[in-house]
Amino acid sequence: MEDLGYLIATVAILIGTFFSIVGIIGLVRLPDVYSRMHATGKVSTFGVVLLTVAAVFVTPLAWSKALVLIALLILVGPVVSHAISSASYRLGIPMKQAVRDDLAGKRIKAPARQPQPAQAEPVE
Amino acid sequence: MLAHLRLTLICWLIYLAITANFEPSNLVVGLLIGFAIAMILRPMSQPLSLRRLPAALFNLAKYTVWLGIDIIRNGIRVARIVLDPKLPIRPGIIAIQAGMKSELGVALSAHAITVTPGEQVVEIGDDGVMYTHCLDAIASAEGAEEAQRRRRAMLESIFE
Repeated sequence: MEDLGYLIATVAILIGTFFSIVGIIGLVRLPDVYSRMHATGKVSTFGVVLLTVAAVFVTPLAWSKALVLIALLILVGPVVSHAISSASYRLGIPMKQAVRDDLAGKRIKAPARQPQPAQAEPVE
Repeated sequence: MLAHLRLTLICWLIYLAITANFEPSNLVVGLLIGFAIAMILRPMSQPLSLRRLPAALFNLAKYTVWLGIDIIRNGIRVARIVLDPKLPIRPGIIAIQAGMKSELGVALSAHAITVTPGEQVVEIGDDGVMYTHCLDAIASAEGAEEAQRRRRAMLESIFE
């Protein structure tokens, strides 16, 4: 049982490290900010999640704690990369080697919605 | 009150998972903390329906597995693109119609797209159109409608 845990941890560390390295290689090689976000997103999904899985087997980290951690990582990672790429597009950073751009010419406006009475929280 | 109960239960489970301690005193403390948080937060709009809960949980598990397979498949695809000496990328932004009314549905669709490597939502239009940046826009544009239809069916089976 102990050996099996170490085997799983070793495999998880190897795969996690491999995808982290690939993510960093992608960060260096890919041409613009939007493509680079794909590469860094892979570090957070594959790399960190698999290293957390390995930590469950070889450290005293409880599996339930790791599960919450992984769920939060999966939930928050895409929000971060969406925020960065959305901000880049609004700032007008161009795409390189783009084959198509359906968003071009669409006017992006800030969400000017009326605050609904049911959820009247102050929006900063 | 029922809506508070559900929120209390979720907070309690997360608290127990984080503390990983199932002694009776900790169970009680977690319940009190969960109830306090549920009182502070807004109750959820949907009423609690115990009859639908098992089916929703089963569909949630199915959706998680499907998403995991999708992440692994696309992760290998992106790794192959990155490690290829010629770097065969055809980046671009394509418009995908979410086809869902609720903001939660659009947000979860956008999350599912963004969490898979190789595609990420850059902007969401007013009408629920998700402007998605793809590493291989031509290949992604072909399968996008079909993938979104499956995604929508799965999300609706959880929340409807």
